[in-house]
Amino acid sequence: MADIDAQLREAQRSGRTALPEATAKAVLSAYGIAVPRSTTIAAPDDAGDSIADLQPPFAAKLVSPEATHKSDVGGVRIDLATPQAVRNACQEIADSAAAHSIALEGFLVEEMAPPGTEVVIGGIIDDCFGPAIMFGLGGIFVELLEDVSFRICPIDEIDAREMIGEIRAAALLKGARGRPPVSEAAIVQALLSLGGENGLFLAHAELIREIDINPLIVSPTGAVAADARIILTERQATDD
Amino acid sequence: MTSPHTCFDALFRPNTIAVFGASTAGRGFANDFIQATLKLGFTGEIYPIHPNATEIEGLKAYPTLDATPSPIDYAFIGIGARHIPAILAAANGRVKFAQVISSGFGEMADGGKALEAELVRAAHAGGMRLLGPNCLGTYSPGGRISYDRGTDGIVGPVGIISQSGGLTRDLLRRGGRRGIRYSAVLSMGNCADLSPSDMLEHFLDDPGTTVIGMYLEHIRDGRRFFEILRAAKARKPVVVLKGGRTQEGSRAAVSHTGALAGDDRMWTALARQTGSILVDTLEQMLDQLLILQHLTPNADKPTHSIALFGNGGGTGVLATDLFARNGLSVPRASDRTFATLKAMELPPGTSLDNPYDTPSGTLKVEDGLVAETLLREIVENESLDAMVVHINMPQFLNPNDRDRDVFGNLVRAAIRVREESVGKTHFVLVLRSDGEPEIEARKFEERNRALEMGVPVFDELPNAAVALAGLRDYEHYLNRRRGGT
Repeated sequence: MADIDAQLREAQRSGRTALPEATAKAVLSAYGIAVPRSTTIAAPDDAGDSIADLQPPFAAKLVSPEATHKSDVGGVRIDLATPQAVRNACQEIADSAAAHSIALEGFLVEEMAPPGTEVVIGGIIDDCFGPAIMFGLGGIFVELLEDVSFRICPIDEIDAREMIGEIRAAALLKGARGRPPVSEAAIVQALLSLGGENGLFLAHAELIREIDINPLIVSPTGAVAADARIILTERQATDD
Repeated sequence: MTSPHTCFDALFRPNTIAVFGASTAGRGFANDFIQATLKLGFTGEIYPIHPNATEIEGLKAYPTLDATPSPIDYAFIGIGARHIPAILAAANGRVKFAQVISSGFGEMADGGKALEAELVRAAHAGGMRLLGPNCLGTYSPGGRISYDRGTDGIVGPVGIISQSGGLTRDLLRRGGRRGIRYSAVLSMGNCADLSPSDMLEHFLDDPGTTVIGMYLEHIRDGRRFFEILRAAKARKPVVVLKGGRTQEGSRAAVSHTGALAGDDRMWTALARQTGSILVDTLEQMLDQLLILQHLTPNADKPTHSIALFGNGGGTGVLATDLFARNGLSVPRASDRTFATLKAMELPPGTSLDNPYDTPSGTLKVEDGLVAETLLREIVENESLDAMVVHINMPQFLNPNDRDRDVFGNLVRAAIRVREESVGKTHFVLVLRSDGEPEIEARKFEERNRALEMGVPVFDELPNAAVALAGLRDYEHYLNRRRGGT
C-alpha cells in the first residue's frame, strides 16, 4: 500500500530505528490485523475527554522515539479502570522515563484486548532467504523454551496452519487445562496478513528489518495485537 | 543462453572435451578424468591441451585451445589458478562449459575472491558458462564421462548437486555399492557462476532424473532457490543435506524474532514449505535416495502403518520403538491374521502378532518358502502401508545349511510377495550381516537381486525407519498440497 510505504519511508528519513507503537499498529490494522482502539495524549491531565470514546479497562504506554523495550523502563501500565487511574499511571510512566533518561513524547492510551492466550508473531529478513516469519506462544514459550516455528515468506494457509501445529505447546491453543480453545482461524489470518503473498512484510520488505507482534492476544473469537514493534531498515547513504 | 534443457546437453553429453592439466606422467585429477571417462567408453573426442606434449593418455595433445579440430562442449581445467582466466577469456566462443577443478580462488583468504571474480568475467567474455572452481568434476553415465574411476557407469534416476567434491566420491562409490544409480553427479565447488539453483532447475526439468539430492553449504541466491523449490510443488523428491546448520546467526538481532532465527530453523522451514526432505548425515542421505529411487510415493495414503517381519526378537522390539519415535505405527495384527497364522502350527517361539518375530527355526520351515505364505497372509489381511522384512543373515548361512539355500529363498519370497502388492504396500528389505567377508559377499549378491526387482535393501532397521519416515513426510506434503486442504 502506497500510503504505508510513504509512512515507513518518512519514519526512516527522520532517523527512527523503529515505528512509534501507534504507527506500527496503524500499519498492522491496514493489513487486517486487529489492534486495540486507542488515542495518544501529550500529558497525564489529557486523560479526560480525549479517552471518553474508549471502553475501560485501559492500558497506558510510554511514547518515545528511543527503541527500547518499554516494559523494561516502567513504560507500561495495564488494567486501569478509570480516567483518573490513567492519569496517575501516565504520571508514573513520566517519572520512570525521566529516571531512565528516556525522551518522552506522550502517552498511548488503549482499550485492553479481551482476555485470551498470548502468542507471538514476528518477522525477520534472513541473510539467505529474505523475509521470513515466526510463530510461538508468548512468555516463557518463546523466551525460555524457544518453542517457535518459522516459514519463509510468502506463506499460504497450509503453511500457516502447519506453523501453528508444529510448536510443542500447540495443545494449549486447543483448550488444554480447562481453557476454551482459541480461534485458530484468527491466528492463521494474522500470519497471512503479515507473511502471505499480499502481506505486510513482502510488500515493504526493503523498509522493514524486523517485526514483533508480542503479544497477539487470541480469544475464542478473534485476535488483537496488544503490542507491536516494527524495526526499520537502516537508511542507505544514497537513499535521500 | 537458450532453454536450460538443451543448454545443459553439452555439459552432460559432450561430443568434444578439452582437458587442461593432464601430464605425460599420468598422475593428477586431469589424468584421472581422462582415464575414468575412457573407461566408461566415451565415444566423442578428447583433446588434452599441453604446451609441449604431443600425446597424453594415448590421445593426441594440442598446444592451445584454439588449435583443437572442433569447438569444445566441455572443458575440464586443472592447471594453476592464475593461468586460467586468460585462457577462458581467449576462448572466443569455442567452449560451451568449463569446469575449473583448481583451487586458489574464493576459498583463499589472500586475493582469492578477486581472482574468482576475474575468472567469472573471463568465462563470460570467452562465451562459456563456468562450473566450480575448487571442485572435482562431473559424472554423467549417459554421456559416458566421469572424474572418478570407481564408478559403475550405470544410468539411473538420481541427480546430485554437491558443494563438496569429497562427498560426491562417497555418494558415487558407497552409494553405487548400495545400489543408487545416478543420472548425473555434479561437484560444484565455489559455484562462482552456475549455482545449485541453476542445476536444480535443470534436474527438475530433466526427464532422466526422478530423484534429486543436494549437499549444500552456502547458497548465494537463497530467495531464488526457495522460489524454484516452491514452484516445483515437490513434483520430484529433493533430498537436502545442509552443512553448517548449527552456525549462529551472523547479524545482531533487535527483536525476539531475530534472536530466535538461525540457519537450522530456516532450512527446516524451507523443507516443510517445499516438501524437500532434510537429512542430517551422509548415511541418511544414501538411505533416503535409495528408498526414493525404488518406491513410488503414495500421495493418496501416506505411509504410517508398518509390519515388521523377521528373525531376532529383541531386534523387532527395538525396531518397534524406533519406528514409533519416527511417527510410524507398528499396529497389532487383526484377529483374522492371528487366527490364520495360528492355524499354520508354526514352531514355538513364533510371534503371531506384529512385530512378527519369526525365529530362524520358523523361517527354515520348507527351506524358507514358509516366509512367502506368511508374508502373503499378512499383506493381504492387514491394512499396511509398508512391510519391512529383516533377516539376520548368519543364522541361515552356517555350514550345516550348505545343502539348502534358505537365505536365498527368503529374499525371493519377499520379492514375490512384493510383486503382488505393488501400488498397495511398500516393501523394504533389511539384510543384517555380521561383517564376516563371506556373509558380506552373499549380502552384496542378494542385495543386487532385490534392487533389480525394485526392493530397496538397508543394512539395519534404523536406516529403514528413518528412510520410511522421510518418504512419509514427502507423501504427506503431496497429500496436503494436492487437495489444497
